[in-house]
Amino acid sequence: MLLCLHRLKHVRSGFVEALSLKSNIPIEEPNDKDQLKPGRAYLAPANYHMYVELANRIALSTDAPVNHSRPSIDLSFITAANAYRDKLIGIILSGANRDGAFGLKTVADKGGLTIVQDPKECEVKTMTESAMQLTKVDYVYSTDEIIRFLSKIK
Amino acid sequence: MVELGIVDIREIVRIIKSVYNYDFSNYALTSFKYSLEKVIAQNGLMNAETLFRKLSEDSNFFDKFLDNILVPSTEMFRDPSLWRWLREDYFPSISPRHFENFKIWLPLCVSGAELYSLCILLKELNLLDSVKIIASVFSNESLTYIRSGKYPLKKLEVSIENYRRFQGNSNLENYYKLINNEAIRDTSLISNVEFIKDDITFNKAPQNVKLILFRNVMIYFNPTLQAQVLDKLNNCLSAAGNLIIGIKESIKGTNSANPVFEIVNENENIYKRKF
Repeated sequence: MLLCLHRLKHVRSGFVEALSLKSNIPIEEPNDKDQLKPGRAYLAPANYHMYVELANRIALSTDAPVNHSRPSIDLSFITAANAYRDKLIGIILSGANRDGAFGLKTVADKGGLTIVQDPKECEVKTMTESAMQLTKVDYVYSTDEIIRFLSKIK
Repeated sequence: MVELGIVDIREIVRIIKSVYNYDFSNYALTSFKYSLEKVIAQNGLMNAETLFRKLSEDSNFFDKFLDNILVPSTEMFRDPSLWRWLREDYFPSISPRHFENFKIWLPLCVSGAELYSLCILLKELNLLDSVKIIASVFSNESLTYIRSGKYPLKKLEVSIENYRRFQGNSNLENYYKLINNEAIRDTSLISNVEFIKDDITFNKAPQNVKLILFRNVMIYFNPTLQAQVLDKLNNCLSAAGNLIIGIKESIKGTNSANPVFEIVNENENIYKRKF
């Protein structure tokens, strides 16, 4: 599982620790070229883009921000879609800009499954609504429904 | 946006190798593909074939291409805690007589963000004239850019914040001027820097280097090239010389049975050559 969230550039630590308190699976901020392993979650580190590279590895990048964001959700989605194609599920949650919308379209174009958190439930609707404008998403789910869906697929 | 397939990318690598003897075959594929697609978009090229032709025929285009393909460092004083460590722990630990013939090497400069940051730090420590800084560049375009002092305004804001967190003894504003809505860095900072035009083989690398600053460059290489380059850097370091890489880079996996580097500072990813 790959997690990409907009976060402060200069705050390097604390986030993964906070998420880990709530998580049953281990969460880490990967190093460049780390091997992806099942049953773990990988959080895009502060001030790096996180890509899926060949041979199931992570690749990090300090390339220019996309949609004012580094890490950019679009870039994580696009590279994951290129690597995993119809084996990928892309999920967009509440958020404050359009980042992720184009990426989710790429996930759909490559045959992946797309889910958007129900905008009614979102603290900020911009991200989910932008994604829905650009792509005919497969499911619009509440967080509880997303959780139920994900627990079923393993 | 033109999307390149694996066959297109192999063809680009082949052309560059045969025309310019520059080897991109061990660059990390995902970021290389993204950079290539950006070059195609920036130059308004219609398709991959147009890029093949331009690369084959136009060496000036290739020089600019190199500058575009190599991802520039993000902003000045990225990771302020590293720069504080250099100021408060690293340089004070070196006895003054050792500053004679003290070489610092930046193996790949594209935008000069790391170089100017280093020079500002050294100036504030009154060491700028005592040490020897060597900066390698891969393209004339990068060299011209760094020497011009130019710096994009959009990167300036974060750089100013970084400098404030670094707690330097001045303001970053004292090291650049705004001219026609563009930042021009104080080029006297780099007047003693020796520039070397090199390529990915690092065959012109300096020897007996005390400190190598090489952050967030190897992330654009695949593990094979990373191992080769680390070997090369290790050979350039003096005994117990230091290597600094990006905080999310790793040197594990290279010679792990017989490590050639040992960790000095885990938070900032600072290593020391083993001897």
